[in-house]
Amino acid sequence: MTDYWLSKLFFDLQTPGAAAEYRADRNSVLARYTLAPEVKAALLADDVAFLARRVNPYLLRYYFGAAGMTDDVFRAKLRASKAEAVHG
Amino acid sequence: MAEFVGAFAASHAPLIARDWHLLSPARRDEITAAYRELGRRMTVARPDVIVELSPDHWTNFFLDNLPSVCIGVGETHDGPPEPFMKAFPYQPAAGHPALAQHILATALAEDFEPSVSHRLKLDHGFCIPLWRMELSHLPPLVPIIINDLEPPMLSVRRCLAWGKLLARAIEGFPEKNLRVAILATGGLSHSIGEPDMGAIDEAFDRDCIDAFAKGAEEPLVAFLGQRMAAAGNGTHEVRNWVIAHAAAGSRGFQLIDYRAVPEVYVGCGFAAWQS
Repeated sequence: MTDYWLSKLFFDLQTPGAAAEYRADRNSVLARYTLAPEVKAALLADDVAFLARRVNPYLLRYYFGAAGMTDDVFRAKLRASKAEAVHG
Repeated sequence: MAEFVGAFAASHAPLIARDWHLLSPARRDEITAAYRELGRRMTVARPDVIVELSPDHWTNFFLDNLPSVCIGVGETHDGPPEPFMKAFPYQPAAGHPALAQHILATALAEDFEPSVSHRLKLDHGFCIPLWRMELSHLPPLVPIIINDLEPPMLSVRRCLAWGKLLARAIEGFPEKNLRVAILATGGLSHSIGEPDMGAIDEAFDRDCIDAFAKGAEEPLVAFLGQRMAAAGNGTHEVRNWVIAHAAAGSRGFQLIDYRAVPEVYVGCGFAAWQS
């Protein structure tokens, strides 16, 4: 399932200025997008597994980079999401 | 008439630019040598124009408008927007509107339906190979975006048809002695933003290289149909190699270098087709 507005947020955050604003004040930026409450909660919790099911993987990577997560942490969370899916 | 003077292919990866300083000297030397050899061969081919095939990494297009194929027909194309590509030396890049419009017209006449852009932003996919090949000057470009990122994507068989179409269009362009090369970028195996991010499927890459070397189209279609999707989402960029392969007549493939480079998350391949 593709979440258009979540994808749009991630797309827009490729602009360095927008990413800086997001890192400084996530809530203000999120208020501009039509996001379901559970999606917003996942964004605020850096829930990689939840978000990964709703966006293109490239956009997912851009987003977490823009949000300030290192590749190592991001990859570890991705691996954990796979393990979670396998083991329930 | 114009002359099709060669087809080339090379991987790209953002980390080849962004994290270049973090790679070991030996790794930098390996990658540099492969791109330089590609650049040397391109220089020998003396193209007046390069038709370049690359995906769009969410730079020009988004979910509200996502063409399968987009031909850049503008006089100028903007350089990469990514901050780590700031030093890309050829920006803005000159286009070749006449050849681009001819390719577009030929495609439409043959019942293909490309999209068109009069000013594209060329992201790292287009620019890293051009940069690292160290050409003394960059010829005008006809950039063609192939959607390799978000379904639906072109079938492999349709990529073959596109390659043949490009060859016909180039050879039918009525400018005497215009030398035109094709450069495909992307692949080989890689996985981005997926649970296996960073994994490189070397077995796939070796078999893929072997399929190109053997040349035959139907086995290549069958192989990619069976194996490409499972080798990582970035592996879909091999479609661009397929287009170059078909443009070259599906023969003459020569591997320049292949290295699995986990530091940049990509099975890096470099190739040329003898024209």
